[in-house]
Amino acid sequence: MSHFDEMTCLLYLEGQLDADHADGVRTHAAGCAECRGLLRALQTESVWLRESLEADDESVPARLVQAPEHGGAPWGWISALGLSAGGAYTLWSGFIEPWQAQAAQAGFTQGNLLTMLFFSGAFWKGWDAMRSLMEFLAVGTLGLVVMWLLRRHLRRTTALAVVMGALALMVALPPSAGAAERRTGDPNYSLPAGEVVHTDLIVYADSTRIDGDVEGDLIAFSRNVTVNGHIKGDIIAFSQELRVNGPVDGNVRAFVQNLQLYGTVTRNVLAWAGDVNLDQDARVNGTLTAGSGHLEMNGKLAGDLLAFTGDADINGQLGRNASIRAGHLTIGSKAEISGQATAQLRRPPDVSTGAKLGSPLDWTITKSGPETRYSSARYYVHHVLRWGASFLFGLVLLFVVPGFFFDAVKACGKTAPAIGFGILFLFAIPIAAIIVCITVVGLGVGISAMMFWAIAIYAAQVLVGAWLGEKILGEGAGAGAALGRLALGLAILRALGMLPFLGGWISFVVVIWGIGAVALAIYKNMRPQLAAAAVAV
Amino acid sequence: MSTAELADLLAQVRAGDSDAWGDLYGQYAPAIFRFCRRALPTREDAEDATTEIFMKVRQKLGMYDSSRPFTAWLYKVASNHCWDTLRRRRIRQDLETGDLETLPLEHPDPSQLEQLQMDHDSKHVRAGLAKLPDRARMALVLRYYSEMSYDEIADTLGVRRAFVGVLLLRARHQLRDVLAESGGGLQGAVARGRS
Repeated sequence: MSHFDEMTCLLYLEGQLDADHADGVRTHAAGCAECRGLLRALQTESVWLRESLEADDESVPARLVQAPEHGGAPWGWISALGLSAGGAYTLWSGFIEPWQAQAAQAGFTQGNLLTMLFFSGAFWKGWDAMRSLMEFLAVGTLGLVVMWLLRRHLRRTTALAVVMGALALMVALPPSAGAAERRTGDPNYSLPAGEVVHTDLIVYADSTRIDGDVEGDLIAFSRNVTVNGHIKGDIIAFSQELRVNGPVDGNVRAFVQNLQLYGTVTRNVLAWAGDVNLDQDARVNGTLTAGSGHLEMNGKLAGDLLAFTGDADINGQLGRNASIRAGHLTIGSKAEISGQATAQLRRPPDVSTGAKLGSPLDWTITKSGPETRYSSARYYVHHVLRWGASFLFGLVLLFVVPGFFFDAVKACGKTAPAIGFGILFLFAIPIAAIIVCITVVGLGVGISAMMFWAIAIYAAQVLVGAWLGEKILGEGAGAGAALGRLALGLAILRALGMLPFLGGWISFVVVIWGIGAVALAIYKNMRPQLAAAAVAV
Repeated sequence: MSTAELADLLAQVRAGDSDAWGDLYGQYAPAIFRFCRRALPTREDAEDATTEIFMKVRQKLGMYDSSRPFTAWLYKVASNHCWDTLRRRRIRQDLETGDLETLPLEHPDPSQLEQLQMDHDSKHVRAGLAKLPDRARMALVLRYYSEMSYDEIADTLGVRRAFVGVLLLRARHQLRDVLAESGGGLQGAVARGRS
């Protein structure tokens, strides 16, 4: 006679079996002493567990006597994250960037795109007011972190004394001087020759003309910007056209349709533009990084050239290396490239015989099209590497924010809402970020939002991949199982993405789907705060 | 406290009455602390969690459906918070629970099991609970202390309902092993094979 197993007996005692199954257990137990014994033992164990758990042998600690008055811990974390960014900036601008500047003076120029784009403190340099604020916040962050770490060892009064002491110390420290002049055009703005702005100059105008000198940075939001005067800091311009005739002691950061350089730039030039033109009289002592439709370089560039462009015409002097990715490259007879030049092109380059090259141009043709891609082993290696990178990202996500990871993977199961939110967020975040960027104070927020958006796009495939793996293999237990499912799901998504014609669309849907899941997971975590806010309103 | 008194108290808290909030906290904080003390591994964790749970309760009170018992809702908030706390500390369904999947389930000898229960009082059980993996401990506390249904446990722990029974049985086995080990010489004695 076969007995019921312990699982069935437990479910029977807990009232979890359906009526037929329960009757079967009851009838069997009536005639089976062994099963009756097991049922009795399990029942006794349940009572024993309940009694043991209910036994109250500890007093409530004194610190819990008073009701907590303030909530909002997640907002605290969000603030801490923002403040930590301030701390990271301070660390960079206070320690690493000066060291980097010394290295640059020693001949080690900046050649790392990531460094130049995202971390170079020069983008912000000169915003002394902003910098002071960031430093203040960073110190505050460190204080908060220390307080949090020591929270169990500090009494309330001690904590208050530490905070007040830290604040007093910060107030007592001499503040760094810094300010900025803001000018709004009516509709145009002009700084006449002979006038000097001793601080940063921020201009909002239809058309901006700078004939005078600016001792700080020039930050311009304008349709046309013409700079004839001397800028001792950086030029940061968001405009349709930027024309720089005068000398610039700092950097030029241009997000414009058309950049024309005629003067001397002592440091670097970074341009995201339709057209970039370095006139033959122009001189850049640092590096030139350009993402553009067309690049024409007739002047002198002392540092490296890094270009992603449709077409590039080089007819000037390059003091160091050139790395170019372009549709077509022309090197004219007046061109001089002292370092090494490499190029990835769609068509073979036109190199004039009169051009002086330190070493032969190293160029390759980048082909596109499914028939060429699929026959190349490099294409598959490339995809395997990308699969590995996304798996690694998933691994980090899983171990750093496991709760969020599982919430987002679970949210992928809500296909329709996820895709709906995904479409909304895919377009809404960049638009919102651009709107925020229009206000100078919101520039940091806007850039942070865009970075978050980019990370979310990359994370999308990881989350959908993990969900897909779970759907195929079923729910698993343990980190190993989760990673196995992630690996499988990512492999399938990558394979689908390689399909001709359909692949791109599939990847697009995955991005929308995953972003929507991220949004749903965030919403789930923020819901209590939103509800509380709604109640408060 | 009668249902009407409680409803009145909750209405005052929603209206922002600090004294009412203090009364509500004083009424329920000890029970929630005791729950946290059982669900979380250390006393300090339980203290922190109790404070955080009540901050959540104050924020979420607008979402409370007054047709349901307040204590059930309160324990639901508390259990969700404790489980979130635990899973943030380590990967949910981590290796220790992964090992559970492969643990051989041997059936207990009823007499040995009863002997084990006689040999260990509530302090031993509580000490044994603290040594269990997070999910096993949570499952036992939610079921045998908070008296939650299988559906509620599944929802809180993020597992399928059908898995709750397995989870509870495995947790019992683990607790038996922990207690047998601490009792000395009893390890393995409570388990025996059965056809």
